Amino acid sequence: MSNRLNISFLGKKLNNPIMTASGCFGYGLEYKNYFNPNELGAAVLKGITMEPRNGNPGTRIAETPSGMLNSVGLENPGIEEFKKLIPSIKKELNIPLVANINGKILEEYIEIAKEVEQIEEIEMVELNISCPNVKDGGMAFGANPEMARLVTREVRKVLSKPMIVKLSPNVTNIVEIAKIVEEEGANGVALINTLLGMAVDIRKRKPILGNIMGGLSGPAVKPVALRMIYQVSQAVSIPVLGMGGISSTEDAIEFIMVGASAISLGTGMFGNPTLPIEIKKGLEKYCIENNIENISEIVGAAHPDGGAAYRNRLGGNNEIKG
Amino acid sequence: MFLEDVKVIENIQIADNYYLMRVEGKKIPQHSKPGQFFMLQCKDNSKVLRRPISLHNVDGNILEFYYEALGKGTKEFTQLSIGETINVQGPLGNGYDTDLKGKNIVVIGGGMGMAPIKYLIKDLKDNNDITFIGGGRNAGAVKIIEKFDFENIQLKVATDDGSVGIKGNTVDILKEVLKDQHIDIIYTCGPHPMMEAVAKVAQENNIRCQISLEERMACGIKACVGCSILTKKGMKKVCYDGPVFESTDIVDVDVVDPNGGCK
Ligand SMILES: Cc1cc2nc3c(=O)[nH]c(=O)nc-3n(C[C@H](O)[C@H](O)[C@H](O)COP(=O)(O)OP(=O)(O)OC[C@H]3O[C@@H](n4cnc5c(N)ncnc54)[C@H](O)[C@@H]3O)c2cc1C
Ligand SMILES: Cc1cc2nc3c(=O)[nH]c(=O)nc-3n(C[C@H](O)[C@H](O)[C@H](O)COP(=O)(O)O)c2cc1C
Ligand code: FES
Repeated sequence: MSNRLNISFLGKKLNNPIMTASGCFGYGLEYKNYFNPNELGAAVLKGITMEPRNGNPGTRIAETPSGMLNSVGLENPGIEEFKKLIPSIKKELNIPLVANINGKILEEYIEIAKEVEQIEEIEMVELNISCPNVKDGGMAFGANPEMARLVTREVRKVLSKPMIVKLSPNVTNIVEIAKIVEEEGANGVALINTLLGMAVDIRKRKPILGNIMGGLSGPAVKPVALRMIYQVSQAVSIPVLGMGGISSTEDAIEFIMVGASAISLGTGMFGNPTLPIEIKKGLEKYCIENNIENISEIVGAAHPDGGAAYRNRLGGNNEIKG
Repeated sequence: MFLEDVKVIENIQIADNYYLMRVEGKKIPQHSKPGQFFMLQCKDNSKVLRRPISLHNVDGNILEFYYEALGKGTKEFTQLSIGETINVQGPLGNGYDTDLKGKNIVVIGGGMGMAPIKYLIKDLKDNNDITFIGGGRNAGAVKIIEKFDFENIQLKVATDDGSVGIKGNTVDILKEVLKDQHIDIIYTCGPHPMMEAVAKVAQENNIRCQISLEERMACGIKACVGCSILTKKGMKKVCYDGPVFESTDIVDVDVVDPNGGCK
């Protein structure tokens, strides 16, 4: 295997830029019957909160044209159980593990960040300020610039690990929020989380989801994700973890070209459980065919200047020459 | 676990919207259990989720699926012709506990809930006494029963419109059966109201009962937490801890978290 896909992401060396999207990959081992998870660049685990949560009432899943809605509502076993799980996961996974952390109120974000700081096996943190499925907290933090500033600042104070702030697409000005979290010490931004949506069962004359509204993901949101990554990456100097509807190698290349240094796969894996392997092979082949020495050379290639300015701002940080 | 393009060798209409599809694969797993299911991929990419379909039967390298053409995905399946391939993932979930000998068993299938029953009866019938109660809306909904293997099995059929068997439902028949016989275990699959009614009768008579539940699924392998239900043992995934549950573990078949939202 060549080094074409090796990247440096938030100071960590990753074998490739392919990661998983939080909430779509369980706690790291669920897909191991379909591919070796160590083939991933890193694994982003299901979102966790301080206390265990039961999540939202069913029905929690609805398929929509080229997409799906979910209203899981951050069901998770809580940090104590998570701590117990991690060592056994790490035994099987020798790739960086990324914890996705969530809170209802500011204090909960701080508390959980402190806990995760202590978990040796967790190398990076994705700060989720964008879950549309919890009544308080979640998206409320991501949709309000000053709340986003506050939560990023306060979490940064207690967290020394590399931190990616996951932004909400349910805003008018994503660039403003991205710049704010960068100012407050985010090492990277992840976008996009799901778009708030709904679906109706016309037979029952009722919304399909028990929680009425849910988060839209899958190919249907891809154009929105691309647009936001394109805008944000031209405005910040930190790497973007791109996601939202990636289901092929071509999609992955599009995300990288609009400015994503790494990508996360979510909904695409439900229909195609071996998608990460397919994309890995596809990216490798693409690099060979196009004489690309390292995939990071095309980060932002679709920017007006071919991405040169953004790659410069990122520094050699995103690239490992081998 | 098995993820493969399998070849369609038969895809026939049984009645109305009910279809039977047989597929052949090279490495079909031989260790599946009745009650388990497969996730079937749609060819049209705009359908981003697979469809959970029960294992109707396994015969060497051949899998059988009995399905109802309801929405976009299952209608697409009806169009598959012999020789075409379909990608299937499974077997998934737990199955019925069939490790039994010398028991008096009632097996109840209602409507589409007939799907896992053929395999279940096949697995149980050599070592146990079985009464099978099949029910459905009309003759079409119970037509599949003709394809079951009924040697040494007591068969009772009910339809809502009385077109086949008695006019009534499976729970009425169950109550009758319990008057005459001692039953050790009840296995059932069918619509939610039927699951609840059967579970209640089982409980009243102190009989062990395994029910199969349905939830909308995205991953099918407990990676997305989409199919959770609240049980007496906490939140469980229908795709992984189920779809078959002990009826006494289920709080209320339709309820997840009465408080909703984040607790
Ligand atoms: C464990 C399990 C086993 C099943 N076994 C069978 C079987 O053997 N035969 C059979 O005919 N049906 C079975 N079903 C129900 C079957 O999965 C749905 O009827 C089917 O997915 C509907 O898809 P559609 O494209 O026709 O409907 P659409 O309404 O177009 O589907 C839209 C989305 O909703 C989901 N969905 C819709 N109805 C259901 C449902 N009742 N349960 C779960 N998801 C649903 C679909 O999977 C899809 O993601 C089973 C369900 C489960 C959970
Ligand atoms: C079922 C489901 C659960 C999710 N749970 C989380 C979560 O816990 N935390 C989070 O930050 N994002 C969560 N997401 C959002 C995804 O991580 C991702 O941002 C989004 O789905 C877009 O990517 P995709 O189109 O490739 O799925 C979830 C998405 C889905 C579909
Ligand atoms: S369908 Fe994803 S957890 Fe059950």
